[in-house]
Order: sequence, then C-alpha cells, then structure tokens
Amino acid sequence: MSLWRATEGVTRPAEVTFAVDGTDVSAPAGEPLATALAAAGMLGLRDSPRGGTPRGAFCHMGLCQECVVTVDGRIVQACLTPVRAGMQVRLGGTLR
Amino acid sequence: MIRRADCLVLGAGPAGTEAALAAAEAGLDVVLIDEQADAGGQGWRAPLGSLTLPRKGADAEAGDRLRSRLAASGVDRRLGRRVWSVGGAFRLDAVGPDGAEAYEAPRLIAATGAHERVVPFPGWTLPGVIGLAGATVLLKAQAVLPGRRVVVAGAGPLLFAVAAGIVAKGGTVAAIVDMDGRLAWARRLPGLARRLDLLKEGLGWTWSILGARVPFLAGHGVRCATGRSEVEAVIVGPVDADGAPIAGPERRFACDALAVGHGLVPGGEVPKILRAAHLYDRLRGGFIPELDPYGRTTIENLYACGDGTGIRGARPSAAAGRLAGLAAAHDAGRLDAAAFTALAEPTLQVLSEYRPFADTVAGAMALRPAQVAAIDPATVVCRCEDVSRAEIDAAVDAGASDINQMKHFTRCGMGPCQGRMCGDVAAELVAQRRGVTRETVGYWTQRVPLRPVPFDTMIGSFDYADIPIPPPAPL
Amino acid sequence: MSQAPIYDLGVIGGGVVGSTLALLAQRGGLSTAILDRGPLCREASGVNAGTLTLQMTRVALIPHAMRAHAMWASARDWLGHDVGVVVCDGLSLAFTEREAALLEERAGKRRAAGAPITIISRDEALRVEPGISDKILMAGHCVVDGYANAYLTGQAFRAALVDAGVAVMENRGVSGLDRTDKGFVAQTAQGPVSFRRVVLAGGVWIEPMMAWLGVHLPIKVLVNQLSVTERIRPVMRTVVGIASGLLSLKQYPHGTVVIGGGWQGIGDRERGGVELVPERLVGNIRLACHAIPELAGARLARAWAGLEAETADALPAAGPIPGIPDAYVCGSIHSGYTSGPSIARSLADVILGREPDLPLFPIDRLMKAAPP
Repeated sequence: MSLWRATEGVTRPAEVTFAVDGTDVSAPAGEPLATALAAAGMLGLRDSPRGGTPRGAFCHMGLCQECVVTVDGRIVQACLTPVRAGMQVRLGGTLR
Repeated sequence: MIRRADCLVLGAGPAGTEAALAAAEAGLDVVLIDEQADAGGQGWRAPLGSLTLPRKGADAEAGDRLRSRLAASGVDRRLGRRVWSVGGAFRLDAVGPDGAEAYEAPRLIAATGAHERVVPFPGWTLPGVIGLAGATVLLKAQAVLPGRRVVVAGAGPLLFAVAAGIVAKGGTVAAIVDMDGRLAWARRLPGLARRLDLLKEGLGWTWSILGARVPFLAGHGVRCATGRSEVEAVIVGPVDADGAPIAGPERRFACDALAVGHGLVPGGEVPKILRAAHLYDRLRGGFIPELDPYGRTTIENLYACGDGTGIRGARPSAAAGRLAGLAAAHDAGRLDAAAFTALAEPTLQVLSEYRPFADTVAGAMALRPAQVAAIDPATVVCRCEDVSRAEIDAAVDAGASDINQMKHFTRCGMGPCQGRMCGDVAAELVAQRRGVTRETVGYWTQRVPLRPVPFDTMIGSFDYADIPIPPPAPL
Repeated sequence: MSQAPIYDLGVIGGGVVGSTLALLAQRGGLSTAILDRGPLCREASGVNAGTLTLQMTRVALIPHAMRAHAMWASARDWLGHDVGVVVCDGLSLAFTEREAALLEERAGKRRAAGAPITIISRDEALRVEPGISDKILMAGHCVVDGYANAYLTGQAFRAALVDAGVAVMENRGVSGLDRTDKGFVAQTAQGPVSFRRVVLAGGVWIEPMMAWLGVHLPIKVLVNQLSVTERIRPVMRTVVGIASGLLSLKQYPHGTVVIGGGWQGIGDRERGGVELVPERLVGNIRLACHAIPELAGARLARAWAGLEAETADALPAAGPIPGIPDAYVCGSIHSGYTSGPSIARSLADVILGREPDLPLFPIDRLMKAAPP
C-alpha cells in the first residue's frame, strides 16, 4: 500500500507539490523523494531491465540503486534526493 | 584545486568521526568526507533537519553528542560529497555541491561502514520489501513507518529495534519472524549481559513488542513474499539453527510491507581498491582487512575502522575509530610513543570490554550457509541484473572458479549497486557449488567509482580544446 | 599411475590469441594443452573494450583485422559459442581542422591497405549516427566495424576448447620452461607439463616468458583506462572514435556504454592495472560526452585499467623464436581483439605446416638491438 508518516508528536515542514509523470504529488519539503513517492502510494518506481519485474526503494540508504528516477532530466537516487516544490519526476529508472 | 591535508577520513559515522576528532586533537590537519549531509553514519544518523520529533532514542542522542563535538573541533568537514575515486598515497576525487573536488594527504582513514545482507527468497524484489536497516532509517531519521501492517523478519537485534520502533510510532507489526529460536537467545544472554546498558535497550524493545501483543515466530524464516505489483503477504515457516528450512506448519501474514535483513556485510571498498590484505571472517560479516590493534592495514599509512572492518556495532566502532585516529597522529610524528600509549590504552580497554557483547550480536547477524544453500534455483540473487541462483550454479558448472569469473559469465554483480546487495550471497553460492572455501572463491575486484556518479557532475563544463588529448596512436 | 602425456603443442597464455591458436591447432590434429596462471581470457582479453574497428588499427594489420572481423562475426560457426558480437557501422570523428587533416591522411592510408573507409560530411555522419554531436566537421565511415563482449570470450573459448579436446589448464602458472631432447617442459606448482612445440602467448608477460628460453624481447606495458556506464536508454548505435584514435565508444545491446581509447593509468607487469588517473578518466569521459552529448546524463558504474603489450615498433610479435626450434611467440598485437584471431590463425597454419594466407610478424626485427 504505502509508507505512512507518523503523526503523534511529530512536526513536519510545510508540504510542497511536485510532479510525477505529470501527476501532482505533495510531501513535506526536504523529505527524501523515495519516501514521498511511497507515501503517495507509488511503491513501484521502475521495472528491472532483464526480468521486467516491478521494483521500488529497497535499502533507503543510497546503496541499492533500486529507487533511481529522473528528476528534472537528471538520473538521481530518490532516497538521497530531498523533495522540492516544482520538481519534475519521471519514473522508469535509467532506461527511460 | 586540490585540498591538501595531513589526514583524510572517508566516512563520517561513529568510527570515522572519532578517528577525525582524535587525529585533529593531536594536531593533524584533518578532512572528514561523507556523502550524507550530517555526521553520524547510518546508526547514529541525524533526523531530517526540518523534523521535530517527540523523543529521541539513545542512538540519536549519541549522534548529537558526536555531532556537537565535531562542530566544536578543528576538523574540516566536507559533507554531502560523493567520493568516486581513491588513489594511492592518497587521493580522493569527489563530486560535491559545487562540482568536482580533489583531496590529497599522506594518510587515509577508511571508515565507510557496512551494508545489509538480505538472503534472497521468492518475492524479495517486490516493491514494499525493504531492508531492516532501511526501515531503521525511515523510523529514526524520518519518523515514517514502512507500511500500515508490517512483517519484520530476519535475524539479529535490528529485528527487535525495528519492530519496537514501529509499535512506538503507532504502527502495526503483523509478525516478528526471527530465524533464531528462543534457545539461541537464551544462550546469548551471558554475552549480552556484559553490556547491561545495551541489554537494557534490547529488553526495552522486547517489552514494547510484548505490550503490543505482536505475534513472535522464533526459529522461523521467510519462505516467500507474494503480491502482484507490491508485497501483499509473507509466508513463513520453521528453520533450523543454521537457517535451513525444516518441515513444519507454514503461516501466511497479510501485510503491506516486509522489513527483512540477515545481518550486515562490511563494505571495505577502500582497502580493497588499494589492495590491502584481507581475510575472511564469517562472524565479522565477510572479507575484512587485516589490521593491527590500532587499525593499521597492510598498506603503509592506510587505516581502517568501523563496521567496514568487521561488524561490531556503533559504540565499538567509535572506539576503533579513536584508535585509528591516534595511530595516524602517532605515525605522523604528532604523538610520541608515551602520549600515544597513554591515550590509546583506555580506548583499547573500552574496545575489549565491548568484545563479548559485540561478538554475541555479530553471531546472530553472521551468514548462515544452510540458508544460502536452500535458495530456490529460480530466485533472483543479483537484483540489478536479474541473475538467478540457477544461472550462478550454471556458471560454476561451466567452469567459473571464482566470484569474478562468475561475474563475467553471468553479469551478476555488474549492475549499478556494484555487487553490494548480492556479493556475499553470490560468493557463498559459488563456494558451496564448488565445495571450496570462501577464501578460494574470493571477493569482487573492487573498482572505482565507490558509488555510481553522474558524468555531468564529474566532467563539469569544458572546452573541447582544453581536453588534454594525448598524441595520436601510431599509424 | 599412467605416464604423463607429451602434448604436440603447449600454449602458454590463455587470452584470445592463445585460445584461438590452441583451438585451431587441436582441430588441425595436434594434441594441445593451454596453460594460464588464471582463468582463460581474464587479463587483457577480459578487461578489453572489445572494439573491432579498422579505424584504430595499424595500417600493416588491416588485412588481419578484416579477416578477424569476419571470424568474430561468424564466431557461432567456428567457435560454436556466442561472444556477443555486434556488427555495425563505425565512425571516426573530426572536430577540428587539424583532426580533419589527420582523419583524411589516416583514412587514406588505411583505405589503401584495404579498409573500406570513406570520408563523409557532417550531415551524412548524423544520418549514420543521430547520437553524435553536430559540432563535428566530418567523419571517417566504415561499414566493417563492431565489437565483441569481452566478458563472454572466456566462457566461450573455454567451452570450445574443452569441446575440441584441448587440455585446458587454468589457474596453472608456469614458473619456467626447460628444453629437452623431446621438446619442452613447463614447470608449474601442480607439476610439469611436457610438449613438443611451444607457443608463448602471454601478452605483456611475453618478455619474462621469452627469458625462460634465454631470449630478450623487450615488451612495453601500456595501462589502458576503461569505463562503463550503467544501463541507459539507447543513445548511439555505432562504434564511435575520434581522428586521433583516443576514443572508442559504443553502447551494448543491454544498454551499458563502454568508453576506452587508450588513456593511460598506473600499473605494471607485476601488479596489473593498479590505479586510474582521475584527470585522464575525466578527459576520456569529456571526449566521450563531447562526441555523444546525451551521454553526459549517464552515470559511471565502473572504471578499470587493463594491460596492453607493445613492441618497439608497435607491431605484433608473431612467428618462430629465432634460434629455438619448435618455439613460437604470438602476441603484442596492439589491436588484440580486432586482429588477434587472424594472427593466431596464421601462426596455427605455420605450426600445422601450411602456408598462411596472411603474413606473420617475425620478431627478428625486434631483436637486433637486444643486449647480449
């Protein structure tokens, strides 16, 4: 389903809006994009290149490369990329 | 412009930061480099700066103390840098916020940490399946739960830390699935009791889990995760002490996330690139550099410390880091023998006090060969290149005798994670198929870059005329 | 215990050259053993860019390169196994007037030697390869080009050699070679191996191998830097180089782009390719991104350095070893993938007593200045 932001006693920064393949998504400013995508229900970020099986963020610490997406035309690891207002995200990994 | 220093420290976790602090206190000009925006590594990671949390855990507080000491020190902090090249005696090339950077120093301390081992099972590539360490990052640094209903599975203390974290944040743990039976933990108690503070932390997790009435399946492992485009359920069954599945009732838990991990693997990229001698130590997580008690590798003026040199945990890593920093200062002539001994002795003592506890925890996190032996042939081992266990076996049968030859035959380990996720398991598979030791099979030949690095940040802007093209080859 | 066999031929060095030779010799009727200190095709032959281009090949080697190209392209037939060969067009780009002049001169000489290279305009080149920079002035175009996948050659040759009945002795380092009245005995840690004839095919290690026979043949060691991207969407479909020859660039069917060109790293015969020089890696990648602008969006996945052997005149050492009957050398080809199989074939012909279709490169020329 999705990641879930804890609420009790947690204060988060104001949400910003960005686009994922043309769809608007909102998340607290500065949150890692991998988290923001999963919290928005976008768990599958790309298909594996050989087997074509769905993949999403796995290690959440910058190593596994499963969460690679394109932001404003550049290949980035979503787990290491803070969300910013207006960023243009394209799913599909490095082959798209 | 090259930033020249007396000592470079790569990795700002507990080990690297303590190393940098110790070397700087002794008078060395130290540069500390890390990819993250703040020091603390994975375990003592700083919560997102913009986040206010109700209560900090012990790790976050330890991290805060470390970060404030670092802020007050003379260490030159270069955080948010992705180092891509490591050269001999010693040079680091990195990309940072303003583009390409280079650092040079006669001494280098490598403290690049460890990564998670997940022994593959059918469905482990489904979105919604994440590592236990990743779940820890979500919980501690981001106050985010991995799902509404989470199965927490695998081995080692992270299981309980993650389950307790989920409960504390109001989430539901569908089940805790621990490969170890209750007996295994009972046997570990004496070792754990050597550090009462840490044992208490563990008991605290257990208490909160008990309070939440979470189903706890000791001596069980994940058979498979199922789901169409995301994980929807996890099927678990009994395993023996060595991780092999055994007959017994299987249970299915519906969930929307599975956090799973089977211990940690030392990274150790830097000593491998620089060709320091390594040895295989299953308890410590895999191949680790040969070190003297102070963290000196077999390469002159190259030091290593922290979980990248064998899994011990954050606190022992911090002590090992301090020793490496002191050794670097001593070898640089900034600490005479007497001062070095006086400073190092208490830290050596601290390290040896941690040892029984660290060994006990490491034992729970070490690779279980029978678990690897039981991997289904069709299961993907290398996530990046979709290489199955059957393909690895076939490569061995076709003559691949070591892990690098197997890599050539199959592309296993050739993808962007650079073999981190699959390397330990893949090497174990090759060793088992051949019936030889892990030493015989070896480890990936470590290459630069340390992480994939975007060309545009490496090359910056340039004129064609400025590219130093060597003279043409002979005709 | 049965008597250890005496092979008709021993090949020391299991790269592309040694493996081809051993295979052809065995098929020609000689019982053959191939020895390597590691697995087959894991030194220069395994870390190679695998380019099969005529536009970086020495003029004297063009006939061999043409024949080797045909051999690679038909590997499934004669080798029996896939080595991932892709046959495609090749372009050599000129960005400056100086490079344009160099390109015309070099293309002309290679064309005279039989390479079907033509000079084409910027617009024509962009039609052949839409991925290239529109900053080029002109390009050399050759329809005989392509690449092999260096990762697959070891597996393919190993299977072919085993199928053919060659005694494949991997992980068997030779520490010395003795001459006897019956031929040669290679000393290894796992025991001696005897053969009537020997070929030294050890790449950069030919120099120490020749010393076993008391012959001095200086071999220079080049340390070529190479890099590869992760899989990316298609950004090019040809093999691309530049006029000066210091770039080789192609995208494999699975999406990775390999960048080479002979930029030098740090290493030596004893330690192999030890270290990359970051400035030169950046220079090489700048050149690649200048040629294929879309490449700048890719990420570097891996970079390494591999050794390449070079004789004093940068032409192969391939022929009989003077003064030592039944001993041959084959290597230091300077375009080992592009020309290697063909040169190995010529030497196999000589050893099998046939007249080779294409000439060898005897080493007498290289030994005149040798110290006593």
